[in-house]
Amino acid sequence: MSASSSPEPVVTINGTAYPYEPGDTVIRVAHRHGIDVPHYCYHPSMSPAGNCRICMVEVVGSPRPQIACKMACFPGLSVNTDSDLAHEARADTMQMLLVNHPLDCPICDQAGECHLQDYSYQLGSGRAVTSTPKTKLPKNQPFGEQIVYDAERCIKCTLCVRFCEEITDTNELSMGQRSDHEQVIMTSAGEFTTRYSMNIVDLCPVGALTSRDFRFRSRLWFMDFVPSVCTGCARGCNVTVGARMGKVLRLEPRENQDVNQWWMCDAGRLGYKHANSATRLGVPAVRDASGAWREATFEQAIQAASAALAEHRHEERPGHVLLDGGATLEEMWVARQLAAALGGEARFAAHVGDDGDEFLVVNEKGANARGAEALGLARVKNAADAGAAVLVIERDEHVPADLRAASGAVVAFVTDASHVPDSVRVAFPFGSFAERDGWLVNVGGRVQRLLGTGEAGPSAVQPFQAVAQEILLDLDAGHDVLDDAALETRLRAAPGLADLVWPPASREPAEVSS
Amino acid sequence: MAAKTPKRYPETKVLSRNFDVDKAWTFDVARQRGAYRSLEKALGSMTPDQVIDEVKTSRLRGRGGAGFPTGVKWSFVPKQTDKTKYICLNADESEPGTFKDRYLMELDPHLVIEGCLITAYAVGASMVYIYVRGEYPLSIERLWGAIEEARKEGFVGKKIAGRDFHCDVVVHSGAGAYICGEETALLESLEGKRGHPRIKPPFPAVEGAFASPTVINNVETLAHVPWIIENGGAAFAKQGIPPDPADPRSVGSSGTKLMGVSGDVQKPGVWEFEFGITLRQMIEDYAGGALEGRTIKAVIPGGLSMPVLTGDELDVKMGFDDLKAAGSGLGTACAIVMDDTCDMVQACENIAHFFADESCGQCTPCREGCHWMEKIFHRFDAGQGTRSDLDLLENLFRQIEGRTICALADAAVWPLRSIVRKFRHEFVAKMSPDEQRAEAEARSARQPAGVK
Amino acid sequence: MNPRAPAAEPKDVAPRAPAVVPASFPPAELKATCEKILARYPTKMAALLPILHEAQAFGGGWVSPELEAGVAAYLDLSPAHVHGVLTFYSMYNTKPAGRHELWVCRTLSCWRRGAPELRAKALDKAGCTRTGEVGEDGRFLVKDMECLGLCEQAPAIWLDGVAHANVTPEGLEQLMDGCE
Ligand SMILES: Cc1cc2nc3c(=O)[nH]c(=O)nc-3n(C[C@H](O)[C@H](O)[C@H](O)COP(=O)(O)O)c2cc1C
Ligand code: SF4
Ligand code: SF4
Ligand code: SF4
Ligand code: FES
Ligand code: FES
Repeated sequence: MSASSSPEPVVTINGTAYPYEPGDTVIRVAHRHGIDVPHYCYHPSMSPAGNCRICMVEVVGSPRPQIACKMACFPGLSVNTDSDLAHEARADTMQMLLVNHPLDCPICDQAGECHLQDYSYQLGSGRAVTSTPKTKLPKNQPFGEQIVYDAERCIKCTLCVRFCEEITDTNELSMGQRSDHEQVIMTSAGEFTTRYSMNIVDLCPVGALTSRDFRFRSRLWFMDFVPSVCTGCARGCNVTVGARMGKVLRLEPRENQDVNQWWMCDAGRLGYKHANSATRLGVPAVRDASGAWREATFEQAIQAASAALAEHRHEERPGHVLLDGGATLEEMWVARQLAAALGGEARFAAHVGDDGDEFLVVNEKGANARGAEALGLARVKNAADAGAAVLVIERDEHVPADLRAASGAVVAFVTDASHVPDSVRVAFPFGSFAERDGWLVNVGGRVQRLLGTGEAGPSAVQPFQAVAQEILLDLDAGHDVLDDAALETRLRAAPGLADLVWPPASREPAEVSS
Repeated sequence: MAAKTPKRYPETKVLSRNFDVDKAWTFDVARQRGAYRSLEKALGSMTPDQVIDEVKTSRLRGRGGAGFPTGVKWSFVPKQTDKTKYICLNADESEPGTFKDRYLMELDPHLVIEGCLITAYAVGASMVYIYVRGEYPLSIERLWGAIEEARKEGFVGKKIAGRDFHCDVVVHSGAGAYICGEETALLESLEGKRGHPRIKPPFPAVEGAFASPTVINNVETLAHVPWIIENGGAAFAKQGIPPDPADPRSVGSSGTKLMGVSGDVQKPGVWEFEFGITLRQMIEDYAGGALEGRTIKAVIPGGLSMPVLTGDELDVKMGFDDLKAAGSGLGTACAIVMDDTCDMVQACENIAHFFADESCGQCTPCREGCHWMEKIFHRFDAGQGTRSDLDLLENLFRQIEGRTICALADAAVWPLRSIVRKFRHEFVAKMSPDEQRAEAEARSARQPAGVK
Repeated sequence: MNPRAPAAEPKDVAPRAPAVVPASFPPAELKATCEKILARYPTKMAALLPILHEAQAFGGGWVSPELEAGVAAYLDLSPAHVHGVLTFYSMYNTKPAGRHELWVCRTLSCWRRGAPELRAKALDKAGCTRTGEVGEDGRFLVKDMECLGLCEQAPAIWLDGVAHANVTPEGLEQLMDGCE
């Protein structure tokens, strides 16, 4: 980027010279170039604490290993991350970390993603740790409503404390006591004021901080994980969704420097409960002549829906399709075609809160409200405008009961059976955010990929795009059925959408910066 | 009392010149004895740089343990800065066996304050914080008393001694934490935080208290300054042990030093000597030697944080380089004596407990390692130690030393490692018969043929 | 000659006042002192240690959660920070500290000169099984302390802020008997 003639300064890592910028530490340069340097207390977003001593590297010419996370680069510096000395230093630290660590991996939630486990395997924990009695510290301490702290597992890296100081500036945590009784303590009030508290659970390199919501729900290796985005608000924080046997078990933030850095809010993280609702609609349902609901196959339901919609069109009631603001671009696109066939238009409704902050949470809760607007969908704000033939609803908050009742719709795609208004005659299951694939546009105009997993909900759920296009075929034999790839091609080129920030074309999720 | 050596090494009362004087902690008495004359001299006839040069000439080395040349440290303070500069006087004196600074603060607080003010003048500081450990209430009281008196007399505050030099002095009381003697932990503690040492760099001279340039010196170090200003750096440098002419980097150990002895001796106490008295002379001639019917087994020459010397190794001069050459260190020059009734395994447990207790808890090797060592020593004391435990200890020493943010962890390793090596037989004596046999076999295997 | 620096001037050994819960911090009695302390530092946080000393003296030898919260609010500090500091330093107590506080030095010089006997005596007289606890009669809090800087007069103890040097078990017994 600069045209300056003086050569960029370089540091040598494992014999290769790498350029660095002023202020760079060795660990930053190493990580930027894909060189592994283990770390516990280091996090790129925070001031270095330099306390865990796992990141030690050999400095060529010095008998003493140094910590890479706090070592500033200077011209001529040469380090080895992979030498005997570096390995020995790390193995030594590991041994120290394990001497008081309760080896309760079998009951620890972190097992499988514990950095202590990781490195101790890597480093070979074959070294004898003698049977000195371990220090007893408090276990199972509540930190607010959602988090449980285990001081024995804690390696005192202070990441959680620094998060509350440097990232949220809410200072609920501090280190307390000293010596081997040092532990994390919380304000006497015992509640977090930050709405981002649960990030410390992800930050914690070991299983010392666990989420009450997730504790003991599943061993990690039984779960399916997909990279996706949070649909709790229009920020669209990048997340990893973990699911198992038809249930979403947890959401965790995934790094994206342009959207959410490394974080997500607590509400978003816990905002998956509707996906696991006891009243999830798992299969299509059709009202029989008496008005009672009967389970149906998709085929039967599609037929019934086509019939109902044909009748509806005939009655010349509003042929709109009213979508949840969290619907994907694909769903909106197809909804628009369906609406056109019904003589109406696709519209959307989405909740607008007043709790936006300067960090991540925004007032706009419709995860794809921006996409809907870009597609030219009108926003339905009150019951008077809610008239529609078809409803597509994932979250109650976006299309609340009054809109649903006022819609007069005859066909509904719903995540939760309790969201079906009385007017509806055919109901299809609509996957939650964790089961659907598609594109969402966040507040910043970034197009991001929502990716679903079959583990996250009723296995029989069929995508709205597919079902709606079959209905379209019934209503309009000339309809040209598009698969998701074809839809994507259209979307990328569509007016209003083409100018947005799209990730490179592929079926992969939005890029993950490491 | 009959001294064993023909000529008794003399005391030299420079810092301690007022210790015997009644109420020397009051302004009137101190002033009569010359207090604040050096400050007046410095302000009246010397530039700040001249003061620094004089201290450099004196070759004064820090008395807080590390022995860094004081004048050199001062010269690291940036001259051009908009920030307030600070002097932090390290009066935490929590090093076990050490009580010399307390004498200065309790008996001659005006000397201490004068030293601080001259330093402040030299580096351009306008605020002095005296960080006194909370366990020294009398020191705190006397210092505050002296500050208020000096303020009334125009030696603290605005326009000191009528000159264009303004500097305030504040006493800050610690609250019980050895680690706060470490200079960066002291700064954290001064700022109202937990005493967690900072990672250096940045060094305090550039970014110290309240992120401003700060000079941190020990009480005794700065108490030397008035004398140096009064008599000249050269006069100071003439005292004590000169630099080694063969080594161009050698600084020597110039001047006098408050030295003390405690533990298993007849007359524990503190005295002032020119560097050069031997450890044995000090213990035998001044501290009265071993208790009745006992012999000296081991001595830590300065505080708790240095390697031990055995009773046979005491003919070493008290000086920075001499003690280093002898495999130990001057530390605070306050020796702790252990006699033949001392169980060295238990001594290790006691020492390890101290460091474990006082570790700030930040760094993994220190937090975990100090306790681990303590537990192993405990095991030895309970008769359950093994030869492999001794190897484990050696391993731990290696794993802890030089791997941490501050030097507390090193300070824990040094005395313990030296005891384990020099008194291995005491550890073996506490092992099971089987282990003892194995040790004896290994030993004889190591002996050259024919040697019993 | 080797003068003995007096460790502290003798003060009356009076039992502590019972803990008072102030309506807000600083209570009227401490207001002037606290303001004076604050004026000494460029930041409010720096006043924390000295103000905690005042709060502890005011609170009868310990800093109750109420006092702690008061100090935090007064200095605009997070309660967690204040608690973290409070528990770092061995001179602060976060639990009721008895009517008298007795520190016994346990470090090497005192250990060599009879500290273990003093400790045993202190625990026995105080009626507690462990250090760091207050005996059942609420009279003494006995604390193990690291070197008190009185090693040349070892073994050393502190009773209610007053140092006592060259203490024998009998002497300690007398001292403790003199406490209500
Ligand atoms: C664990 C530890 C404890 C220390 N305690 C003290 C102390 O109590 N008093 C002191 O003057 N220096 C102490 N020091 C040394 C200080 O860090 C620092 O080197 C000294 O105050 C510098 O002053 P000087 O150059 O005048 O010696 C300690 C160092 C360490 C690592
Ligand atoms: S709880 Fe976790 S993040 Fe916090 S200090 Fe302990 S190990 Fe680090
Ligand atoms: S800020 Fe919005 S997108 Fe991000 S986690 Fe919270 S609710 Fe989800
Ligand atoms: S070495 Fe020990 S005392 Fe020093 S910073 Fe590390 S943990 Fe704290
Ligand atoms: S990652 Fe560098 S010391 Fe912890
Ligand atoms: S060892 Fe007890 S006062 Fe120093």
